[in-house]
Amino acid sequence: MASAHTSHSSGGQAGFGLILAIAAFAISGFLFWSDARADTLAEPADPRAIDGLVRLSEMQEGALLIETVEPGYYLPAPMLATDMAVEIAGPIIRTTITQRFENPSDQWVEARYVFPLPANSGVDRLRMQVGDRFIEGQIHERQAARRIYEQARDNGQRASLVEQERPNMFTTSVANIGPGETIIIQIEYQDVARLRDGTFEMRLPLGLTPRFIPRTDDYLLVSETNPSPAVPDAHRITPPVMAPSSEPGDRLRLPVTISAQLRPGFELGEITSLYHATRIDRSEPDIAQIELADGPIPANRDFVLTWRPANETAPSASLFTEDWEGETYLLAQILPPATLNADAPRRPRETIFVIDNSGSMAGTSMRQARDALLAALDRLQPEDRFNIIRFDNTMEQVFPAPVEASDGRLRQARRFVRNLDAEGGTNMLPAMRAALTDDTPEDTSRVRQVVFLTDGAIGNERELFREIHNRLGRSRLFPVGIGSAPNTYFMERAARAGRGTFTHIGDVSEVSERMAQLYTALERPVMTHLDALFAEGTLSEIWPAPLPDLYYGEPVLMTARLSDPDGMLLLEGRLAQSGWQTRLDLAEAQPAEGIAALWARNRIKGIEETRFQGAPADRIDAAVLQTALDFHLVSRLTSLVAVDVTPARPADQPLNSQDIAQMTPHGWDFDAVTRNTSPVDHAALDPELLRRLRVHASPEEAALAAENGLPLPATATPRELLTWLGALLMLAGLIFLMMNRERRLW
Amino acid sequence: MVSRTSLLRGGAIACLAAGALVLAQGLWIPVKADIAQLLLAQAWTRAIDGESAPTPWPWADTWPVARLSVPQLGEHAIVLAEAGGEALAFGPSLLNASAAPGENGVSVIAAHRDTHFAFLQHVEAGQTIVVERPDGPPALYRVTGSEIVEADRSGIQVEGGPPRLALVTCWPFGSITPGPLRYVVWAEAVDINTI
Repeated sequence: MASAHTSHSSGGQAGFGLILAIAAFAISGFLFWSDARADTLAEPADPRAIDGLVRLSEMQEGALLIETVEPGYYLPAPMLATDMAVEIAGPIIRTTITQRFENPSDQWVEARYVFPLPANSGVDRLRMQVGDRFIEGQIHERQAARRIYEQARDNGQRASLVEQERPNMFTTSVANIGPGETIIIQIEYQDVARLRDGTFEMRLPLGLTPRFIPRTDDYLLVSETNPSPAVPDAHRITPPVMAPSSEPGDRLRLPVTISAQLRPGFELGEITSLYHATRIDRSEPDIAQIELADGPIPANRDFVLTWRPANETAPSASLFTEDWEGETYLLAQILPPATLNADAPRRPRETIFVIDNSGSMAGTSMRQARDALLAALDRLQPEDRFNIIRFDNTMEQVFPAPVEASDGRLRQARRFVRNLDAEGGTNMLPAMRAALTDDTPEDTSRVRQVVFLTDGAIGNERELFREIHNRLGRSRLFPVGIGSAPNTYFMERAARAGRGTFTHIGDVSEVSERMAQLYTALERPVMTHLDALFAEGTLSEIWPAPLPDLYYGEPVLMTARLSDPDGMLLLEGRLAQSGWQTRLDLAEAQPAEGIAALWARNRIKGIEETRFQGAPADRIDAAVLQTALDFHLVSRLTSLVAVDVTPARPADQPLNSQDIAQMTPHGWDFDAVTRNTSPVDHAALDPELLRRLRVHASPEEAALAAENGLPLPATATPRELLTWLGALLMLAGLIFLMMNRERRLW
Repeated sequence: MVSRTSLLRGGAIACLAAGALVLAQGLWIPVKADIAQLLLAQAWTRAIDGESAPTPWPWADTWPVARLSVPQLGEHAIVLAEAGGEALAFGPSLLNASAAPGENGVSVIAAHRDTHFAFLQHVEAGQTIVVERPDGPPALYRVTGSEIVEADRSGIQVEGGPPRLALVTCWPFGSITPGPLRYVVWAEAVDINTI
């Protein structure tokens, strides 16, 4: 501080010094401001402007997304090949997906792999090859899995974590990908074929509907950094809506090959692929090999395969069993005879139609929804009552309350439907609440049905399920899935919670057929009070429990753990005031694989659903965790964590690609994606995009950095230096001035 | 002769002006550090009231995360979230890569040796350090010792182990130029009942 007095000791120049000091203070004030501003000013331009970067939610297909310096934005790694191999044994569908990617950059990077899955299925096997390392997934409790993953990553090992974000979205992280390395990821999951009107159906979801997260007041798009209160993991499922046209460039994706082996357990009749041309080899009566006819296809539309038995009068029941770890598991699909409910009288109805006209429905989806609703209106009779509710982030009812379906009202309703356009966000909750509001809850002369047309692109499923559970009353909920890839998980569960059925319409050409099916189900009586009974004295655990109500054309689909693998199964239910029952011999069941896993998955689903009936959360968690660990399933509480299983080799031995192929662990098969791959066109890759990748330290550098410990920031200010320098400069100036003055006096 | 005189005179005034500017900047550093702490005290009360990330002034890119004090020395400061080194001008910063105070692992708080952490040279083993948190009881630490390390080879492993605190500043104190050495005061968590 002593140096500050220098300026005052300059005698006649004191005023001048003061002015200088004030000026300096003002300048420093600016410096204070600019110091704090530095970071805000340096903020990068809007990354959305960068062509070629994507967000997780935009991905409609399996992709490996490399982290960039823009949080939440990724560069899709070039895909060299994708293969989907499906094995269908009985009703169990086992799918193996193998995808091969390349790190296009000359840096160490980290990436996330995303893949859309069918509802009610989960990945139970993961195998990866990253460069010369082989990695296999093991099921662990979720927190433990994350710890193992982070530790492995910090130690510079290749690691991967598979977590269930939403039941129909699969993501896994891939750490420590070396420059130019090849990454092969293989996942396996299990699904069950749907049986409807005697036709089995399999669906391979190749597209993923972008999801939309509502906020409490305003319905904005959610970014990765601002989680919405209604959806705590919103930043992890990253949901803003994207136009389907903004797909990644052609050079960054390669089409998909699909092959399926079908062994349904009966002689095969008609086999159809709904949206893709196929070549079917049927040299044996009960086995079929299916391949794509036109070679690889772009992965933007679900692959749907249906098959029927050759003999239409064949028994409408199929029983499969699996022996697994000393227990017998049963899968039963039983179709009640159609004649049972053919001539029941039609009952008048009160039908509430809810139609989603949010932005995610834009284009074909909206047209499908409009057509479906118009078709539904045609089925109304004068004694029925109806109303229409449309919603995006706002909501509107055509009539203030349900009205009689007179010609005039129907004309008004049709006009309203034809004028609907898709725009805005999705806020389903108020619409669901309005649809379930029943003015005449005691009216038994009419059945009350809510038909809900949507793509289900929402993130607040939990709130909606609670609403359905609390307000259902005598109403029944019939979600109709619209679009090429609706959120099937949400709709199937909503249908179950709402004691209705789920209908999926994937294409405009299906609208009339599927809506007719739904209407047949709506107009026919429902089978209720379904129960399965086994021989007396045997203990069996049946899931789902209780068995759901059955609509026309639907099979009883149940899984059970049996204490006695022989004996009889008695199935009974009530249909339009009369009883129905059937008796099946368990000895006739055919063996099939994967039934134990399916039973366990149903069990977890059943336990999770008790949440809405008030079961304590810790009991649910404990039961779900134990089941998931016992049956090696990925669930809300368990994760697959990747473990390095690379065979040991001498450290001094150089490695070439042929050695890597020979080192593949026993039982692993990556042939489908190593045989024919197209090379990456490196010249076509934008170097500007590669520069935006978030660069990671190589494993060697990371190990060294870990040893060196946390780097510490600079904690010295130039205060002393500035003070002394300033004082010296001023002193020099003063001396000069004084010398000058003395000279003038002479 | 005249021109030479005025040249000398002009040079002298320029020297004086430049000197005043540089000096003011040097003097401004501790003033800024003190003013910032006053503004931060208000933001800190907002943090205690439950506001997440309350910025002390509208354009600030950092916010108070804790209040550090050494009762025996009568020293205290509001600790900021690390923000690319900018936050250090206004107060001690809790390094992002380190543990939250009171949690397992090492919480690393760094500050300038000639402003907020000038007092570190007087901290001795056995003294108590209090770290108040916005969302819980204060974390108490007892100083175990100090060491001098290189900035890029600190050897500090932040993860795992019992809750510990490392206060970091530049070494040596009173040096005019920045250097590669850092002074680290180590403290271990103690139970509030043992004080």
